[in-house]
Order: sequence, then structure tokens, then C-alpha cells
Amino acid sequence: MPILKVEHVKKLFGNLNVLKDISFELNAGEVLSIIGPSGSGKSTLLRCITQLETVNGGLVQVDGKDMVQSGDKGTPVYAPAKVLREIRLSTGLVFQNFNLFPHLTVLQNLCLAPVRVLGVSREQARETGKSLLKRMGLEGKEKAYPCELSGGQQQRVSIARALAMNPKILFFDEPTSALDPELTGEVLKIIKKLAEEKMTMVIVTHEMAFARDVADKVIFMDGGYIVEQGTPDFVFNQSGNERLSQFLSRFSKN
Amino acid sequence: MSDLSSLLPILWGGFCTTLAIFGLTLLFSIPLGLLIAVLKMSKWRVVRYPVSFYISVMRGTPLLLQIVAIYFGSYYLSEYSGLGFSFDRFPAVIVAFSINYAAYFAEIFRGGIQSIPKGQYEAAYMLGMTRTQTFFRIILPQVVKRVVPASANEVITLVKDTSLAQVIAVTELFALAKKQQAAYASIYPLFVAGVFYYVANLLLSVLFAYLERKLDYYK
Repeated sequence: MPILKVEHVKKLFGNLNVLKDISFELNAGEVLSIIGPSGSGKSTLLRCITQLETVNGGLVQVDGKDMVQSGDKGTPVYAPAKVLREIRLSTGLVFQNFNLFPHLTVLQNLCLAPVRVLGVSREQARETGKSLLKRMGLEGKEKAYPCELSGGQQQRVSIARALAMNPKILFFDEPTSALDPELTGEVLKIIKKLAEEKMTMVIVTHEMAFARDVADKVIFMDGGYIVEQGTPDFVFNQSGNERLSQFLSRFSKN
Repeated sequence: MSDLSSLLPILWGGFCTTLAIFGLTLLFSIPLGLLIAVLKMSKWRVVRYPVSFYISVMRGTPLLLQIVAIYFGSYYLSEYSGLGFSFDRFPAVIVAFSINYAAYFAEIFRGGIQSIPKGQYEAAYMLGMTRTQTFFRIILPQVVKRVVPASANEVITLVKDTSLAQVIAVTELFALAKKQQAAYASIYPLFVAGVFYYVANLLLSVLFAYLERKLDYYK
């Protein structure tokens, strides 16, 4: 059974049809890259699945739990608040601009939710936090404040913060778009490492080489539709879809 | 200058009343202001509109008038309704100052709360934090840092506004200084009172500068 199932999802902002008919599935341990031009609906799709936006129709199922499904008249019916919260706790999101808590130290950023939300003991949370920082190559930064770190370091802290909640699926919304080019590498390296550890991930990205290397599956979106989806090899080399090759050619020129 | 030794104890007594008005007003108006700020951002109009009206009246009429209204208003209300409850002079002053300053603090706090980026709420939401947890652990601590400079203005103004309490014959610093002015037939006591206000505000300025530095550990 797929850990994430999305069927016929629609999303409107007023009259603007941002997501038209989105369907895909993802199995546990797989990595999905979502690529496509700006305004194609990638980030909106991610925000719909992570409950930061509500859908206007369709089905989303996370880890076997229905988050939203279509009612009688096609209107979306969301699960009770308790189930939605359970689903939210099984998903983590890494934001484009990190959204770390600036008034808390790095370690406090990592410990706050595990202690307050999951009820983990303070000592346990600190231990987990420290070992996560070690995995992120941020040893010794426990007591630093986010403003004292580089963008790449901040993004690695925010990945650690999401991992501290032990999510089943980790979502990335353009995790390197706010970073200087020389800092993207350190973040991508961490995500690659997570992929090797079989973390289930959905990554919206503009880094084409990265999307191809890290993913088990790639989705190309344009104009609110999934234009093409399949293995990286299929999407990047064999598809032959005109819009896709147009989009990819813009990257290969650089 | 020989009379300074007799003047100072008298003015000091008035200054203590001034300090009491100051302290109690802050004690009540800051939490009340926070509550009003939150209510003013309510999504329900039935909550938002009365709160907006309250703020506009508090800011749009003289504090002097509000003190008089609370004191005499409660007196007449109790006389004619037979409720048998009215404010004494000092409590009336505290009530009037608290609800007036709460309105100003509310607008400062609202500005602070609304300046916190949406991403902070979203990050907390994704981590499963409740709305209460998000407000008190994520939003409010950041708001405090942002509202310190504007709040310092209000607090310093409050020290001087306490002199309005004399309108219903509460003998705070300025009222006593005026009495001494008549007794001495000199404006000299008023200047001494002025020094009291100035020194108090000087100390407050230092305190707020320290607070701003203390909160400067993050951007």
C-alpha cells in the first residue's frame, strides 16, 4: 500500500485554477522529485498535502489515513481534527526560507516540539537533538541562534527540526532556493544522505541534476497538471514530451 | 534653600502616590492591552467592532475626562440605581488609567503581533503545536522584543500623566507641589516636582535601554 496517495486533487485561489487534476502515489522509502516552471502549482500541491492549504476537491491519503476525500457533490470532506493532527505529526515540512524560531537556540528549536507536543523527556529530546545535529554536520552549534548561522546551516537545522519529530514522510519546498549557490551543495548532500537511509521524501526543487540523482520517481508539472511522471531516466531522457523537453532545455543551456 | 528640607518629605509622600498610580496602571493595562489586541484581531465582527469602538473612544477623548467620568459616573450610577457601589477616588484613577493605557498598549501589541511572519505560525503548525502553544512560545516572545521601544514611550508618558489624577483630588506629586506653591508663594516647589518626574523617567530610560540590549541576542 502506498504511504502517500493523491487522487484528482483540485485547488482554486478565487478564480485561479492552480491545481486541476493531480493524481500520484508514493511508496514508503521512495523519493519523489517534483519539477516544473514557476507558477505550475508545485508548491501549492505540497502545501495542500501538508494541510497548509485546503483542497477544493479530490482525495489525499497519508499512511493509510484519509486526510480528505470527495463527498457526495464532489465537495471535499476533511477528516476530524484529531485525525488531521495525527497525519500532520506523521509528516514534516522543510520550508524554502527555513522558518526557524529566531528567539530560540538551535537545540531549543529542535527540542521544543518533541517535548511540548510528543511529550518526550527534556533529556531524551536533547540527546536526540544533539545526535541529529551531528548527522547534519552541525556539531557544536547547539547554543547558537539561527541569525548566527549561514543560510545553508539554517536549512540543515530546519531539516533536523523536522526529523526530530520522527516523521514518516518529509516534504521539502524548494529547500535551496533561498540559498547562495555555493551553499546549496551542503543541503543537497544532507538530503541525499537521507535518501540513502530510505527516508520517504517529496522534494519540490529547481535543481535538475539533484532531482534526477536523488529521486526514485519524478513528476513534471505545468499549468496545474502533472504533464509527465515516471522514473528519473524516463522523465529526463525518454519522455519526448514537448513541454517537458522545452523546460529541460532551459536548464541544459546554462 | 532652608525650606527644601521641609518640602522634600511632603513631595516624597506625593511621589509615592504617583508611583502607586504608575505601578498599578502598568500591572493592569499591559495584560488587558494584550487581551484587547487579540480580540481586535478576532475573525468575528461582533468581537472586533466593539473593541475598535472602545479603542477609538479611549484614544479620542481626554484622559482627564475619562477620570472624571469613571469617578462621578460611578457615583451617580450608584445613587440613582441603588446598587450602592461607586469608586473611591484612588480606585477610580486606577480604573481610568488602566482602561486608557490598555487601549494604547493594545495597538502597540497588535502591530507587534501582526509583524511576525506567517512562516512562524506555519512552522509551529507543522510541528503539531496547538494555537495556545504557538502564541505563548513562538509569537509572544518575539513580539516582546518588537514592542519594547514603542512601549517605552507609553511608560514614560504615563509617569507624567499621573499628574492628571489631581482632577478628582487625589494628592499625587503635582497636586502637593501646587499646594506648596501657594503656601510658599513661589513656583519653586513645582520645579522640585519636575526634578522628581525627570529622575524617575531617566531611570526608566536606562532600564528600557538595558532591556533592548538584553533582547538583542537575536535578530
